[in-house]
Amino acid sequence: MMIQVNNIKKAFGDNRVLRGVTFGVERGEIISVIGPSGSGKSTMLRSLIGLERIDDGSIAVNGEKFVDNGVYVKEREMHRILSHSGMVFQHFNLFPHMSVKKNMTCAPVTNRLMTRAEAEEKCHTLLAKVGLADKLDAMPSSLSGGQKQRVAIARALMTNPDILLFDEPTSALDPELTGEVLEVMKQLAAEHMTMIVVTHEMGFARYISDRVIFMDQGVIAVDEKPEEVFAHPSNARLSAFLGAVHTKEAAN
Amino acid sequence: MVQYIDNIFYPKTEAVIISPTQLINTLKILSQGLGITISLFFIVIFLSIPLGLVLTFMSNSKLGIRTRRGAEIYPLRWLARGFVFLMRGTPLMLQLLFVYFGLPYIGIVLERFPAACVAFVLNYAAYFCEIFRGGIKSIDPGQYEAAQVLGLRKFATTIKIVLPQMIRVAIPSVCNETVNLIKDTALVTTLGLADLMHMTKSLVNSLANVTPFAVAAVIYMVLIFGLSKIFSILEKKTTY
Repeated sequence: MMIQVNNIKKAFGDNRVLRGVTFGVERGEIISVIGPSGSGKSTMLRSLIGLERIDDGSIAVNGEKFVDNGVYVKEREMHRILSHSGMVFQHFNLFPHMSVKKNMTCAPVTNRLMTRAEAEEKCHTLLAKVGLADKLDAMPSSLSGGQKQRVAIARALMTNPDILLFDEPTSALDPELTGEVLEVMKQLAAEHMTMIVVTHEMGFARYISDRVIFMDQGVIAVDEKPEEVFAHPSNARLSAFLGAVHTKEAAN
Repeated sequence: MVQYIDNIFYPKTEAVIISPTQLINTLKILSQGLGITISLFFIVIFLSIPLGLVLTFMSNSKLGIRTRRGAEIYPLRWLARGFVFLMRGTPLMLQLLFVYFGLPYIGIVLERFPAACVAFVLNYAAYFCEIFRGGIKSIDPGQYEAAQVLGLRKFATTIKIVLPQMIRVAIPSVCNETVNLIKDTALVTTLGLADLMHMTKSLVNSLANVTPFAVAAVIYMVLIFGLSKIFSILEKKTTY
């Protein structure tokens, strides 16, 4: 099991965002997480990498628990366990004062995971992979949204993560730019990168992922293969959600 | 009697115009005062900016102690914010007089110049603290999240991610504050220090001629012009 999530709960004040979420992800699996806004899917994803502190439940990465029944391990230990997870954000979160190269090499070099030369070589390879080899010295402000997101993906890949989390990676992009980012994600999927993708891209959920998780009101309402989810939605709220998404896409 | 009033309200032209030789002498004498003004300026800049940064980190510190009654206290934060309130809440002139004339009563006796330095450094550190705090607040929370998921520790995040972005935001305000500092140095005249302002005033008195005021104004403007040039270069260099 790459990730095992057990009955996690989280509330912001009176708002119970996660009300007991349980699921597992095998190595190489690609999971799409869909659901209406406010269903807790982003919070769930963020808690997998320590950006949100859960109130109760357990999360293990690669068999090692960093939170057990709501009790977190020590910071250093947590840091070590989570060092094999990477994350890509909706708004890219590139460091605006650093060139593309610096954005990618800063963390691994600072943490002495590799030498500067090794990091730069790896940076070249990854930029070529996402089709941005010529942007090595560009500043983020000179890139388009799609290019920024591809750099962010390459940056997350620098440390060879075992798992990549995507939080709505195409939601902040102009529609004509989503394709280039999805293309990179498809490529990663073909290489059997373990991925959990919170997305509104039903095409990605349907055709690329191995499993689709539908979250609603802080719980997992449906966790099935994409064919089942899209062809025979078993759950009334899922049907309604897919209907709404479909209508919106048709309108566009 | 008529003649006397005339003299006060309509000074004779020789009280305004001076000869080239007199002008050069004026410049010579005023430049003696420039030493104090400029050394005070540099001492204050080099000490108050780091101190301001320390105050900023104290002010943002989450270090909290829970008392037995369950109340949270944040010693570092409260200390820094209290200090800033005190420094911004009272006139610099008062602080200057307090350090020089007041502190001896509790056994701290400072010479004029060190006293001026202490008062200015403390006062300006408080303003720089607020400027830096604003700069840090302006940083997108996503930057901290990205740093965290990339495995950067707190210290590295501060040095490599937070400070460079904060500095860029802070530069225009820091420029403004240093310009103010040049002009504020004129306050040390009240302690009897022979700065540019002091020399100007005594020259005006001894010559019975107001031209040195204009000369001093030009000198202050030249200093400030140079300063804003330096800052505009800095601003361009930190643009991304």
